[in-house]
Parts: sequence; structure tokens; C-alpha cells
Amino acid sequence: MDMTREDFTGRGTFTERFGLDTEVRSLEPYRSREFFELEREKVFDRAWLYMAREEELPEQNSFIVKQLYPRNISVLITRDASGHIQAFHNSCPHRGGIVVREEAGRASRFSCQYHKWTFNNKGSLLGVPDEENFFPSLRKSTCGLKKISTAMWEGWIFVNLMDEPEVTLEEFLGPIKDYLSGMIYLGAHNPVVYTAVLEANWKAASDAFIETYHIPHIHKQTIGSTFAGTINPHSRLISAQPLGPHRTISAFGNTEYAADPNSRVEKLGSKAGEAGNVIAQATLEDAADYLKHPAVNPNRTNHWSMDINQVFPNFHIDTNPGGFLTHQFWPMSENQCFYEVRFYMNEAKHFRERFLQELYIARVGEVVLEDLSNLWWTQRGIESSGTATMHLQDSEVAIRHSLDHVLKWTQSATVKEALA
Amino acid sequence: MSGHSSPVQQGLPSGFEALEPFMAQWCCETSAERMEVRCEADMGEIRSFYDSMIERADEAFDLIERYPIGEMPDDVARLAKLLLGLAQASVAVEIHGQPRAPDTPYPNSIKLIRSTAPFG
Repeated sequence: MDMTREDFTGRGTFTERFGLDTEVRSLEPYRSREFFELEREKVFDRAWLYMAREEELPEQNSFIVKQLYPRNISVLITRDASGHIQAFHNSCPHRGGIVVREEAGRASRFSCQYHKWTFNNKGSLLGVPDEENFFPSLRKSTCGLKKISTAMWEGWIFVNLMDEPEVTLEEFLGPIKDYLSGMIYLGAHNPVVYTAVLEANWKAASDAFIETYHIPHIHKQTIGSTFAGTINPHSRLISAQPLGPHRTISAFGNTEYAADPNSRVEKLGSKAGEAGNVIAQATLEDAADYLKHPAVNPNRTNHWSMDINQVFPNFHIDTNPGGFLTHQFWPMSENQCFYEVRFYMNEAKHFRERFLQELYIARVGEVVLEDLSNLWWTQRGIESSGTATMHLQDSEVAIRHSLDHVLKWTQSATVKEALA
Repeated sequence: MSGHSSPVQQGLPSGFEALEPFMAQWCCETSAERMEVRCEADMGEIRSFYDSMIERADEAFDLIERYPIGEMPDDVARLAKLLLGLAQASVAVEIHGQPRAPDTPYPNSIKLIRSTAPFG
């Protein structure tokens, strides 16, 4: 599908097609302590939350430890000898100490360092030193590591903090599960990972990654020319679609993009002098089948840079010409969040390819820094704002849809009602 | 400055000796160290490394690519690591015109916690 200047003129219709009203939205959810408490309880304590890729547990008896920031829960995730993946509270049932202090490794059993209570990787309590000096209230069969409900979807590991999740992961994912079904995740075993603590509400941070309206301004020096061009100077979206509480949008790509003539280093890595796209991290030869997936460049246009698939509440799976990347935003308080971005890429086969990866890693680090800096100012503005509302334009439809679903969850007595 | 402790300090392949003075600063084991070196260097140091390195880069690539990526002799691997430093140096020279992005905090909370092999 070819696109012209006309496609980006006049007011767009995404918001209408999402079935959303076009009124302003309140900024209170971005700055209120009370709302943060409500959101933790009604959203993060009830939704299925993405934790890790299964490739992070590559073999039998692999384990990893992750942090569930909203409640400061340390989560131990194990793969047992039969291959089953299960999450546990990484906290000793004896007196609460952290059991596993490493971030990742291989082990079939774990001992709490404090008093050497020992567990297997199915969570069962195996041994208690000086057991006979305890009282009858200690029953080893009920003193295993406390399980956290765990479920898998195409290699993505999710957890749910409810003792008995009200809906299955499948029900929770709903239409996005079908939309992304069969996706080929290139380089899923080899992420390049940046983390940062952002001094901004988690939604303000997530919002910065679901609109491209800001790119020509904030990222002018780094990726501005990838996402905007003559026919679409304001980097409007090329498609958008609601998927239950989740959604997908696609961003414009500038076909005029060529390596900046000042970028001598980028040209060095591209042996034949071909122009690269600074946002693509893998080689196209690996990507032929991946690019055929209907969710990758759904409009089938050459004016495409990336798709953003946003899984409620805090996880994005982005697909671009070279592969995929993920963003995750964890609330720490009403004005601070933990951010993690993972760029998945195959190991380089040749050194020039490795060099271009290093250039990519260096540049995306600068993009993260630009966002970190901008979000600091955004949050200060939100908190000092006399205008307690935000105006969202049509290409910011994902922000409107995302916020409306967070609000709906906070107002719903049950998860089924929130998903209805 | 030489703000990191790189364990690699021996020579480069024959013909590249003129780049050896840059090794103490720019021959790093990991991507995160390269980023830190660029952020903490002054612009004179970065430009001097960039200018010298870019001039020899094509020859360096040709030599490095004679070996499979995982099987470089040590001196060639050191040259490869030095060349990766050029990617970070280019951020200062080609994008910002200064070591770090204007109007951004340093130090900051951004951490590159995992990169890609080799020399990541």
C-alpha cells in the first residue's frame, strides 16, 4: 500500500474507530498518591504481569530472580527437571529472608543462607536444621516456597498475584493472543538490556513509547529522520487497533532516510555503503519469514518503521524491520518507575555486523537518555500543573485507550468486569 | 583520563602500533565500559581517538575479518575492541559535538546490564 501526503492531512479517525470519546483526560492518575495505591491494588495485584522470556531459563534446573516492583516482591522463577516453569515468592517461610541471592543460575535445590532451610526447585521444603526443636505448628509439607500463579504464552512467562486468578492468562490476553499468534521472535535468546529508574509516573513513561508525535522534537538528532518525512512531517501513526485492554499501533517510516553524511562511522560498518536504518538491529536475511507475519507491518506499506503491541498494563512488544524489542514500566511510587528495555538480536556472524550492533547499542542508549531527561521534565510539569488535564490528538490514541483501561480496572469490582 | 581498569594491555598487530597510545583508555572488554569511557572523557581525547581510528578503520576491518569472529588472535582481538570504541566515540563527535547529550544528567540511572558477544 502506497501512502501520500493526503493520508496525513486533516484530522485522523483512529480515536473514533477505537470507540473513544475525544474529551480531555485528567492528569490526576499521573500524580496522585491515592491513585497509585488504587492502581497497585486493582491493576497490579489482579492483572497477569509479564516477567521473563523462557529463553532466560535455557535448560533443566535453570533459575532466575526478578523484582515485582509495585509490591517489592522478589520472585524466584525455576525450570525443573521436567521442564516445568514456576514462579515463587523468593522469601523463606521460616522468618522471611531472601532465599536465592543470585540473579540467575542453575540449581535443583536452594538453601536460605540464614538458617539453611533447604528447598527443591518445585518449592518443596526438604530440610530444616534442628527440626526437632520446632513445635507442632511446623508442618514441612505446608512450609514450601509460596507459589505465584504462573502461565506461559508463546515463550512469554506471566505471573498473577491473586491466590486464585479470576481469569486465565489466555482469557486475559484475549484478542492480542490471536493477533500475535505464531510470531517469530528473532534472537529471543540474546537481548541487549538497558535499565533505568525514571523520575516519572509509570504511565507517563509508557505513554512516551506509544506515540511518535514527540519523535521529530525530542529525538531530532538520533532517530527523528527515521520516523518523519516530507509526506508525514509530524510522524502520524499509519495504523492503530484496539485489542481488548491491549492495543497495537504502527509508526511511519521515512523512505527518504539515508545515513547522515556526517555519519562516517555508520558508513564504515556498511561495507557496500548501503544505507541502514538506525532502529534495525538484525540482518534482513534472517527476517524473511518474520516479515510475513500479518502483525508485522500490518498495512504492508514501505512507509513503515515499527509496530508497538502494548500488553496491558505495563509491557510493550515492538516489532521493526530487524526484529523485536520490549519495554516494561514498573510503578515504584506515583512519580518514579523502573524501566527496562530489551533489544533482541542474533549474535553477529561477521565483525562488521558486530560493529554496527555496537553503534546501534550506543545510539539507543542516547535515545533512552533523551527519554529519561524528557520524562523528568514531564513529571515536574504534571505535578506543578494548573491545568489538571491533558489534550490528546488522534495519533495519541493509544495513550487515551491505555489510560481508559487502567481507569476501568480501578473502578471494576472484579477482573471479569474490567475485561468485559 | 583512564577511568576503567582494562586487563588487556599488550600490543596491536603489526602496522597498527601508532594506535597503541589509545589502548589504555579505549580498549575495553564490554559495551558498558566503552559508554562510560566516552561519557567521562573530554572532547579533545575523544576527537583525537576518533580521528586516528577512523583513518585506519578500513584496514583494521580487513585484518579482523580474516579471522572467524570467535577465533581472533589476541592482538587482533585488541584491535577489534579498540574499533568498537569508535562506535561510542562517534556518538560524541557525530551526534552531540560534545562528550554527552546536551541538557542531560550525568551520572544518571541508566545501566547497560547486558550486551552482545563478542566483547559486549
